[in-house]
Amino acid sequence: MTLCACNDLRPAFRVFDAETVFSLPVFFQSVNDDTASDKDVELLRRVATGDRAAFAEFYDLHSTLMFSVACKILNDPNEAQDVLQETFMQIWEKAARFDPKLGKASSWAATLTRNKAIDRIRASVRRTRLADEAGVESAIAAESTDTANESVHGHEKARLIQSAITGLPAEQRKAIELAYFSGLTQDEISKQLHEPLGTIKARIRRGLLKLRDQLEGRL
Amino acid sequence: MIDERMEEQAALHVLGALSDTEARQFKQAMAADPELQAYVARLSIATGALAGAIPAAEPPPQLRAKILAQVGEKQKTVSLPERKFRPLLWWGWSLAFGLAIILAAFNHNVQPLREKVVAQASQITSLNQMVQTLQAATNNLQQTVLALQETNKLANMRIAMLSSLLTDSPKAVAVSLWDNNKQEGVFVVQNLKPLPADRDYQLWVLDHGTTPIDAGIFRVDDKGNVRVEFKTKSLITDAGKFAVTEESRGGVASPTIKNMVLVGG
Repeated sequence: MTLCACNDLRPAFRVFDAETVFSLPVFFQSVNDDTASDKDVELLRRVATGDRAAFAEFYDLHSTLMFSVACKILNDPNEAQDVLQETFMQIWEKAARFDPKLGKASSWAATLTRNKAIDRIRASVRRTRLADEAGVESAIAAESTDTANESVHGHEKARLIQSAITGLPAEQRKAIELAYFSGLTQDEISKQLHEPLGTIKARIRRGLLKLRDQLEGRL
Repeated sequence: MIDERMEEQAALHVLGALSDTEARQFKQAMAADPELQAYVARLSIATGALAGAIPAAEPPPQLRAKILAQVGEKQKTVSLPERKFRPLLWWGWSLAFGLAIILAAFNHNVQPLREKVVAQASQITSLNQMVQTLQAATNNLQQTVLALQETNKLANMRIAMLSSLLTDSPKAVAVSLWDNNKQEGVFVVQNLKPLPADRDYQLWVLDHGTTPIDAGIFRVDDKGNVRVEFKTKSLITDAGKFAVTEESRGGVASPTIKNMVLVGG
């Protein structure tokens, strides 16, 4: 385990609208094995009623993933702590909005964290940094490294995920990372990578489909 | 059929890489297209995995205590339906104002009577009667307040009439009564066509009018009638609408929009 080992500063230019996305019936909708775990669902139900013990348990289960995401995006452990704190307060207040049919609790919590972190970058002076600083090195861990997915999925499945992601062609993975971890739009990715917009769209589409096909039903 | 362009938009959408305008347009397209919704849902498997594919970083131990302490200080607020007119509050103030007048009148009248109590016993009796009358009036006001409190409880009830979308069962009708506090409801259907053995009706509560939440399956009798008590599989915050779809036996995870038979709110 590391404490915010990432070095790159990544500007981000827009925020993924988490609440809107998660209020839609379509996002993270459960498909076969992709249903949220019963335990997480029960914990969030209890959190929605003001159960602090359930909230503490939810923290223990998901704080590593969430802090890892915040660290990776912000590259600052202090800011990552602030984001984690804000995100958990949001979960405390809005746990009732979580719908297990729309996805796993871990995905929900990670996306809330990701959006808060990117929102913070947008509001800071780091936003003025040029996009060419984004993604100098890959956000994705090497296949042999312990990842945040271990805390959620366990060792075997985390390895499976890592293998699927590191197995993507480099150009596809780069475009996906710039979108998810740096918050760049398709146009910004196109400029950053000096590639036509159509090429970027195609890379992202192919990369995500490949990931989906390799992981669907196996997590 | 989802074309390649729409697949690209879906991929950009789940990564948050669409511009605000594009994202709005995509959401509109998605809202009207169940196939696109399912497609996006499957793509989210990839983004969920992506989030954790980074080196693990443990938060400092003291942060846990700090966050839990903050939660301890901050009581959860339960949101109630917004009401333009708040009769309970109004009556509360009215009651207080009325009592203040009563007390003022009582003090104003009783004090001089104390000085003349021996000589004017009949007047005291009269005043006592007046006090009793006012106490009765106060009791009535309290009864009214209690009744209004009951009315306020009803504000958490949602009653909806569902009408038929079927050409062969145009008289089918249903009423749904939902108690948001108890998170349970009663559903009454009339004149809905009976289904073959391999099909079921499935009830959905549309939370905030958009998010379909499974409320269970049911069948109707030979006359097309049934009364069922139901609970949802997820917490409902705002039962905006109700809908019934015809599904395969046992129900499904997501409603089949084209098989919607009743809807209303």
